[in-house]
Amino acid sequence: MTAQLRSELFKQRTTRTTLGLVLAMVVLVAAVILLHVVALPTQGLTGRQGQLKVLGLGTTFGMIFGSLLGALSITTEIRNGMIRPTLLAMPNRSRVVAAKVMACLIAGAALGLFSEAIAVGMGAAGLAARGIQIAPSVGDFAQLLVGGAAAAALWAAIGVGIGATLRNQVGAAISLVVWLLFIEMTVIGVAPAVGKFLPGASGGALAGAMLQETATYLLVPAVGALLMVAYAALAIGAGLVTTARRDIN
Amino acid sequence: MFGRRYAGLDQPARRVGAVLEASDFDPGRSGRNHLRALALAIDIDFGRVEEVLDIVDLGDAAHRRVKTYSLGMRQRLGLAGALLGDPELLLLDEPANGLDPEGVHWLRGLLRQFAKQGRTVLISSHVLAEVAQVVDAVLIIDRGRLVASREMTELTGGDRSLEDLYLELTAKERV
Repeated sequence: MTAQLRSELFKQRTTRTTLGLVLAMVVLVAAVILLHVVALPTQGLTGRQGQLKVLGLGTTFGMIFGSLLGALSITTEIRNGMIRPTLLAMPNRSRVVAAKVMACLIAGAALGLFSEAIAVGMGAAGLAARGIQIAPSVGDFAQLLVGGAAAAALWAAIGVGIGATLRNQVGAAISLVVWLLFIEMTVIGVAPAVGKFLPGASGGALAGAMLQETATYLLVPAVGALLMVAYAALAIGAGLVTTARRDIN
Repeated sequence: MFGRRYAGLDQPARRVGAVLEASDFDPGRSGRNHLRALALAIDIDFGRVEEVLDIVDLGDAAHRRVKTYSLGMRQRLGLAGALLGDPELLLLDEPANGLDPEGVHWLRGLLRQFAKQGRTVLISSHVLAEVAQVVDAVLIIDRGRLVASREMTELTGGDRSLEDLYLELTAKERV
C-alpha cells in the first residue's frame, strides 16, 4: 500500500499537470481577490462578515482545483493508457484507487492551504492598503487556512471518486466545476435551507466562509466536516464499484 | 498464470512482465520517470530502472518526455517496464510493431537471450513469418479457441511454413 502511495505521489510530481493546476489556481485566486479588494465599495468591506466573504474565496478555488486534481489523477491514466501498467504493477484495483485517494488528500490539502494563504495574504494586504481595519480574529484566519486545506483535500478525494466513476477526463472535470460553481450556487440562491447541506457548502463550512457565504449561513464546521467525509466516502465507494466492475480496455 | 489468476500472484510484476499496448504512458512524463513510478509501485530500487533503460538502449532518451518518442522507442519503453521486475515470463502483444528492421533484429536477440536464461517469452502476433523466426513453439488461437499447439521442430521438416499450418487449421474451422 505504501509502495503504491509513493508511486502515486511520484506520478503527481513528474508531469506538468500538477504545476499547471497550481499556476492556474494562483492566477485565478489572485485576480479574483484583487478584483474584490480593489472594486468593492468600502462599506462592503468593513466588518467581519464582509471581509470573510472575500477571504473565503480562496477556499472555493481550493475546492475546485482540488477536485480537478483528484479527477485527473485517474481519468488521465484511463485516457492515455497508463492505467494498464499501473494495474499490472498492482492488480488490486481497490488499492490503486485507495492510494490515489490518499495521494490526492495530501496534494489537495496543500493546494487548499496555498489557495487560502494567497487569498488571506492578498486580501489582508489589500484591505490594509485601502486603510480598512481588518476585522476577522486570529481564530477566523486559522479556520480559513486549516478549513480551506481540509475542504480542498476532501474535494480532491471526491474528485478521485467522481473520476473513477465517470472515467471520462473532460466529462469529470466539467461536471465538478459546473457542480461547484453553478448548480450549488443556484440551489443556494433558490433554496438556501437545502443548499447549505450540499458538498460545496459543507466544505465552505470547514473554513467558515466560501464564495459569498459566511458562518451566518453555513453549517457549523463539525457538521460540515461530517457531511464532507460522507460525501467523499460515497463518491469513492461509487468509484471503487465502477473500477472493480468495468473492463480496462 | 503459474496456476493462479494474475491478480492472485504474490508480487506479480516480479514473475510476469507484460506489454499489452504499444503506448501505455503519460506522454508528459519522461521515460525514466515512467519507469520510476512503476518501480516504486512494485518496490524495486531506481538502480534497476537504469539497468532496464540500458537493456532496451533508451538511456540517452530517458530524460525526454514520452510524447517526443517514436513508436519504436515506445515499444522499447514498454518492454523496459515489463523487464523491471526481472520476471520469469514475458507476455508481449505484437512487440515488433513499429520497430525498424534493425530494431526487429535487436528485439529478436533480446528475446532469445531472455529465453536462453531458462525463462519464457509468450508473443501474441499476426506476423507469422516474423514469429516463425524466433519461437520454439506455437499455439494457434482461432476465434478464441486454441486450435493447435506445435513445436517448431515439427514444422521445419518439410516445406510447410507456419503460415501454411495456420491457414489449413483456420480454414478447416470455417467450413
